[in-house]
Amino acid sequence: MKRKMLVTVLCAAMTASMLAGCGSTSSNNDAASGSSATGTEAGAPASSDETITLTVWAAEEDQDFTKGLIQKFEDAHPDQKFDISVGVESESKAKDDILVDVEAAADVYSFASDQIEALVDAGALQAVNDVDTVTNENIATSVEAATVDGTLYAYPESADNGYFLFYDKSVVSEEAAQTVDGILEACGTAGKKFGMVYASGWYNASFFYGAGFTTSKADDGSTVMDWNKSAGNYAGTDVAQAMLDIATNPAFVAVTDGDTSNQINSGEIAAIVSGTWDAVSAKEAFGDNYVATKLPTYTCKGEQVQMGSAAGFKMIGVNPHSEYVGWAMELALFLTNEESQAARFTEREVGPSNSVVAKSDEVLANEAIAAVTAQNEVGGVIQEVGDNYWESAKSFGEILAQGNPDGTDLQTLLDNLVEAAVQPAQ
Amino acid sequence: MKEKNEKNRTNPVGAFFFSIGAFLKEFVTAVADGDAGVKASLVICGAGYLKRKQIIKGILVTLLELAVILYMAFIGAPFLEKFGTLGTVQQAMVYNPTTMKNEVNDYDNSLMILMFGVISLVVLILAVILWMVNVVNNYKLQKRAEAGKHINSFKEDINRMLNEKFHVTLLALPVAGITIFTVFPLIVMIAIAFTNYDQNHMPPTALFTWVGMTNFKSLFTTNLTMTFGYTFRKVLCWTLLWAVLATFTTYIGGILLALLINSKFAKVKKFWRTVFVAAISVPQFVTLLLLRNFFANTGIANTFCANIGLTDLLKKLGLITTNYIPFLTDPVWAKITIVVINIWVGVPYLMLIATGVLMNIPEELKESARIDGANPFQIFRKITMPYMLFITGPYLVTQFTANINNFNVIYLLTQDIYTTTDQKLAASNGKEIDLLVTWLFRLTNEFYNYKMAAVIAIFVFIICAVFTLIAFNFLIKGDKEETFQ
Repeated sequence: MKRKMLVTVLCAAMTASMLAGCGSTSSNNDAASGSSATGTEAGAPASSDETITLTVWAAEEDQDFTKGLIQKFEDAHPDQKFDISVGVESESKAKDDILVDVEAAADVYSFASDQIEALVDAGALQAVNDVDTVTNENIATSVEAATVDGTLYAYPESADNGYFLFYDKSVVSEEAAQTVDGILEACGTAGKKFGMVYASGWYNASFFYGAGFTTSKADDGSTVMDWNKSAGNYAGTDVAQAMLDIATNPAFVAVTDGDTSNQINSGEIAAIVSGTWDAVSAKEAFGDNYVATKLPTYTCKGEQVQMGSAAGFKMIGVNPHSEYVGWAMELALFLTNEESQAARFTEREVGPSNSVVAKSDEVLANEAIAAVTAQNEVGGVIQEVGDNYWESAKSFGEILAQGNPDGTDLQTLLDNLVEAAVQPAQ
Repeated sequence: MKEKNEKNRTNPVGAFFFSIGAFLKEFVTAVADGDAGVKASLVICGAGYLKRKQIIKGILVTLLELAVILYMAFIGAPFLEKFGTLGTVQQAMVYNPTTMKNEVNDYDNSLMILMFGVISLVVLILAVILWMVNVVNNYKLQKRAEAGKHINSFKEDINRMLNEKFHVTLLALPVAGITIFTVFPLIVMIAIAFTNYDQNHMPPTALFTWVGMTNFKSLFTTNLTMTFGYTFRKVLCWTLLWAVLATFTTYIGGILLALLINSKFAKVKKFWRTVFVAAISVPQFVTLLLLRNFFANTGIANTFCANIGLTDLLKKLGLITTNYIPFLTDPVWAKITIVVINIWVGVPYLMLIATGVLMNIPEELKESARIDGANPFQIFRKITMPYMLFITGPYLVTQFTANINNFNVIYLLTQDIYTTTDQKLAASNGKEIDLLVTWLFRLTNEFYNYKMAAVIAIFVFIICAVFTLIAFNFLIKGDKEETFQ
């Protein structure tokens, strides 16, 4: 089995890179021949006789919408022949498939902002050409998240990829929803549960960011983090203890990452930390009692601390190995412009990163998007971590979610977490 | 008999080197004693054949020589030249707004250099061997001519390949297939174990290079910053334990089930057999993915156990600390669940095999034992089991090796829902329930750590090979046959 698999993998790698090898040679030639054929025109791209072949990867639920936008893009350039196809790729898993073979990946693809560092390291993102347009049209935090080492690498597409609180107001009162303690008490009384993903470095960082702890990424790909020390009034162990207290409350349920909507549908849940992707499920489950709001405060060392969050964005990236990288960038720009973002909100209820659309009345009236914005205002942090952070943070969260079954010293848990995360990627 | 065995065992390694020596001697003799034709064939391979009027063969051999030389000069040499460093020029791209394209420099792709380097090396070695064989053949031809024997025409040669030497013709395709699809990738994989090919060194964007034995050292190192040694030890122990458990539980379970169905007390035997075979007819991965949802922390099994009060009972007994039974999320529980599920998935296969074997046990043996007053258990222990073991010995060995690499059961049951709570394991991307092969898979697929995966793969290969050799030697020595004749 193992050998057969490796053989397959290697064969695939071999053929892929052979094909890709041919691909890159031809793109060299095209670059040379193309230079004489096309002229320059400031601002608008000059059309050429060749057919521009591009592949776009978009999430499964966005297929029709993306195809519609592409049609509009083609209509906007009537002089140019296009052959643009759309493939399915989930934004949260884009990295996994792109890194396998960057040259074989799509020309234009959508991804979640936490993958940007890895994608830049792998040479899978083309530096944005039209920096000014992107910077001026989108909200500052989204541009910041799309920037690595001072270079803008992606086109912000949405600003709602963060988590906040959904609750059922027939169980949890508005006042109770202000604190985790209040939610747990209300849920406990009603025999319902409060759910949150603990085993994920994206979710569980919420407690630490809230208490003033930070993470950042060093040049060698390692994580710089202070969670095993103290920040301001709180020590890392205080936060871990607070997490443990929540986890051991009978009204709390630790949800597996990716299982949140199932949990909401199960009917056991009266409050859950999740994001806009679960808005539909939550509305269905809670009916008229559906509320989306910022995260509550939690009790840390006897004080109330606002939970932070890893502000997430969805972005569109361009593959530098694309044969028609210029047109790919044009398309990416088009897919993320004001008009497209407005359409994306209307049709897909995706919270825009475009500053004009974000302030429109329709967007402001959307409860889930308002909740993300509110959460970002009180504690949204752009999460910068190295590759070794994720597995360790996941394991750390799982230990606490299980109530620290071995009774390991919390300081030791934090030391181990930090020790593993600060290793350079290998 | 014994003498023959002794003879067969005379050191195969020695014999190998002896035959190499003999071949070299033959080659030297050919060069020294050969006539002008043989000597010319050192440079133009077909020369000797041409001299003896084997025109087509001569031309073909010379053309092959030319092809190899051209390949080496234009494709092989540039790659072999960079093989020592695996490339030095990193990819650089500059966007040209005028052409709307990226301009790429003439960069080195380490993976391509590695692969073509390996291919070229193998071609080179094969070419040298063929060249030597060719000279020897030319010399043999000269001898035949001198002895006045018949020299085959091309047509006769072809006929020989279809008649006396048909086995060579038949084997050519499979051997070529194995070389291209198994041996080459295998060599490349082994070579990767000696490089730093990982997420930070991914071609085409970055280069990777040779690092010697560093990765092998990493696999046995455990310190603050490196936990591969710890993880390897843990994963290896569980892999072996799993292989033993999985093999013997399904084996014994299958035999017992077959005995039960075959016993004279069982009614509607065909029905029972069909029921268990039906379990095979559902694709295994469907079953496993379904079971994964069944036994999830919030799955049906847990809801059921909570409703009947089992969860609370276990909690009171102190067996679990969580509000659910961690069937697939706690190291110990998960291991037990996996083994049990594997019994369920694997037993039907063994039941089928065992049924076949049981029907073949000579009834006289049991009959006479019964007359001698043996009880059913004694018959089982002294007749049925030894007979079963003898027949299914080879199957057991292959099954054990297959279980070492039993990817499906472990991966499909635990992927995405099992999170390790051992921080040292997490630091090197391992889990308590990982087999070497699932660890390896996740290292490549999720973490792009090809170098460590290659090292682990080499060890998996060594473990499987050593075990299989030993087991086959002990289990299936031909001398047991008389026992049942």
